Amino acid sequence: MLFSLAPTTSKSCRAALVNCHKLSLCRPRRELSSAAHEECDVVIVGGGPAGLTLASALGSSQISSQNLRVTLVEGGDLSKVRQWSPPPGSFSNRVSSLTNASQALLKDIGAWSHVDTQRTAPVEEMQVWDGVSDARVTFSASEIGLARPQEGMARITENLNLQRGLLRHLEQLPSVQLVEKTKVESIQRDAEERGGWPLVHLDNGKVLRARLLVGADGFNSPVRSYAQIPSFGWSYDTQGIVATMVHPPRGAFQSPNTTAYQRFLPTGPIAFLPLSPTTSSLVWSTRPHIASALTASEPAVLASMINAAFRLPELSLRYLYDRILEAHAKGTPLTHAEIQQEILWREQSHAIDPNSAYASAVVKTAEDAGIPPADSESVPPLVASLQPGTVASFPLRFNHTETYIGEGHGARTVLVGDAAHTVHPLAGQGLNLGLGDVECLARCIENAVLQGGDVGSYTALMPYAQERYLHNHALMGAMDKLHKLYTTTFEPVVWARSVGVEVLNESDSLKAALMMTAGSQDHKVDRSAFGWNLAAKGFEGLAAGASAAKFLSGGVTGMIATGLQGLFKAASANAAKGN
Amino acid sequence: MRLSNVVRALHRHVHAAASPGSINASEIAHFSRLSSQWWNEQGEFSFLHKMNPVRVQFIREKLLQVSREEKGEEASSSTKILRGLDVLDVGCGGGLLSESLARLGANTTGIDASESNVAIAKLHASTDPKLDHLSYVHAPAETLLASPKRYDVVCSMEVLEHVDNPASFLSTCAELLKPGGHLFLSTISRTPISYFLTILLAEDILRRVSQGTHTYSKFVNPSELVSFFQKYCSPSSTQSESLEASGTSQLSSPWISPHASPNAPTRTEAEVRGLIYNPLRARWILAPRDAWAATDCNYIFWIRKPY
Repeated sequence: MLFSLAPTTSKSCRAALVNCHKLSLCRPRRELSSAAHEECDVVIVGGGPAGLTLASALGSSQISSQNLRVTLVEGGDLSKVRQWSPPPGSFSNRVSSLTNASQALLKDIGAWSHVDTQRTAPVEEMQVWDGVSDARVTFSASEIGLARPQEGMARITENLNLQRGLLRHLEQLPSVQLVEKTKVESIQRDAEERGGWPLVHLDNGKVLRARLLVGADGFNSPVRSYAQIPSFGWSYDTQGIVATMVHPPRGAFQSPNTTAYQRFLPTGPIAFLPLSPTTSSLVWSTRPHIASALTASEPAVLASMINAAFRLPELSLRYLYDRILEAHAKGTPLTHAEIQQEILWREQSHAIDPNSAYASAVVKTAEDAGIPPADSESVPPLVASLQPGTVASFPLRFNHTETYIGEGHGARTVLVGDAAHTVHPLAGQGLNLGLGDVECLARCIENAVLQGGDVGSYTALMPYAQERYLHNHALMGAMDKLHKLYTTTFEPVVWARSVGVEVLNESDSLKAALMMTAGSQDHKVDRSAFGWNLAAKGFEGLAAGASAAKFLSGGVTGMIATGLQGLFKAASANAAKGN
Repeated sequence: MRLSNVVRALHRHVHAAASPGSINASEIAHFSRLSSQWWNEQGEFSFLHKMNPVRVQFIREKLLQVSREEKGEEASSSTKILRGLDVLDVGCGGGLLSESLARLGANTTGIDASESNVAIAKLHASTDPKLDHLSYVHAPAETLLASPKRYDVVCSMEVLEHVDNPASFLSTCAELLKPGGHLFLSTISRTPISYFLTILLAEDILRRVSQGTHTYSKFVNPSELVSFFQKYCSPSSTQSESLEASGTSQLSSPWISPHASPNAPTRTEAEVRGLIYNPLRARWILAPRDAWAATDCNYIFWIRKPY
């Protein structure tokens, strides 16, 4: 498989590696003697969070760093990330909700201390509700049985903050070689009599001969193309809008801004993720035409729409979308005053009390707010403005490869993170899944080194695929079904899901289960709990197997299976405690 | 039990006559083809590939345990325990175990009576830049007795149940050790369950293995190995290259004290552990010590040559 990279003008540091497999040009190759090859044990392609974390994990493990020569290749210029120093109070628009398991990994490898935790915020509570029926689930860190509830159930972290921390950590790890501003020109297979190892041709003329080639190179992974690993998936008819939102701080009679809000609208979920007392991050998944009209509007209009999307009944939101689309089509976008007028009118027609937290048309200042209304914490703070330049949108897709390990002619390759799977960002799990992959792969590599194994061999890598594939598939399937379940206004489905959500809210253990399968449980499972986990895995399989076409039954089955699985996990946790 | 295919191949080659002659290009092509069988991790030998890490784990842990008992916790680094040791792999086949031991830093010699196995092992090792301390010899193990070279560790995996004279084979392995050296063997027990799994199920019912691969009567029970070493005494140690040759020519004591029960040898003298295949997880596990019936099929055996 031969491919070549087009000159890139993209700003993204991973973009250099994207799309290259589409341009399969059969350019004549210069002859390179085997003497020019640089022998590497592990070559990681891609300097995104997953690739950098894997390099850090291998570099900080005593066993791996003493025995392996690790090289990370990145096409972009990482010095921009290294020197990233935003003014205080301003935040990047790409954030992730790092679960405790992900944080534990980063702490284990010593990278977390390089992340500026002043710029992160714990999620102490999570409110999730149905946009049509208003059925609501509340998760609280103190209720779900975490070891350290004061640290929250997750931590909202800017991706750049994490990447910068990882780069700083890597500077202290001499065993890892970082090759940046260097693109992968092509990946070829070494001669059969030399074992057919992957040869990574770089645009600086060097050739790396890789014992193990790791694809941490994103959705359009060149390593995946080389390994000829098929993938399947679909794009949702959905765009994700991101932005950094500025709002007044929570008052003295309210809890601090540590609650994440997510409302499931028929067009897709809208999420509010706290970053600081006066700043939060938006992830709003919606139909592409609505997304383009919203992002084309002036930021103040988008801010008003965000406030409305968390508050107004679904019917009125549809009316507002229509108004915005209509004006957008005519080329006369609505002004802030006009949209506020529309929202006020809808509030009045729904008889929403102007003093209620559900009213957003009349902006109240902190001084005249006084004692907040009783329902003030069931919706996020009112967004006052959007940080300039932070509004962006991207298409959402679901993608999973058929395997994570290359075989035959693609042997000695393994995929992690987005190269292996792309998920709906419903629960913010994309990065966490990738970090889970990295933790497992680093552990498998270390085990192989310890037993004198060849880290590029199928035998060494198989445990990684065994452990991660079904786990990821089940979680991705659950998120996909949740998406399909909630993007309908069909009456019986709305009823069923409202009952489902309210049942969940009633039962503490089921709630804990939902949280745990969202990835917050620790990856290190006690051995005595093995049997229970096996049973739980069975239910994961059940959830994954349910047909997506029968979305209602599939979704409900998934939910029940998730619940049962949680019960088993809770039982195994108890068994572990008992020992 | 595709594993038996491996040993069948081994078996064939152990008795194959050594054919002299240098290697030519067409033979390399031929060996490459065969090599892809030995080293096709999902093919014929997949069971052996999966078993390999567990065998190395046992070897490492045993050496580490002995070293810790003798030199203390601090002196023994868990990753460097094999570094610098002279290791012999008898019946190395394609070199699965030899490569792992060499990667852990042992000066490894793989020996096999089959010329093609040795050629395959050499070819495969040549692709890996990290195997400096690895060499292969095409010869029957008995020929090594003529040279004064003795080893810290001798391994022979899945070979014993295929040799015609196990007692003489064991003596050869034992004599190749330095005093205080370690012998590791893995083989199959002669029990109803091993008959059921390796012969009835694998050969007669599932037909995964051709009939006649295994001979039930050639399987060796752990207690028989223990009994052998309760009677076996090293010949005079004057020819050994040990620094502390005793100087006396009297016969040394048996390797396992004769008073111990054959089912429970003294812990510091020998150990038997079951190797169990878990078909659900598709991996082998090392059974805990004294696990019930764990050694009724595949097992691994360790014994130490007395000083």
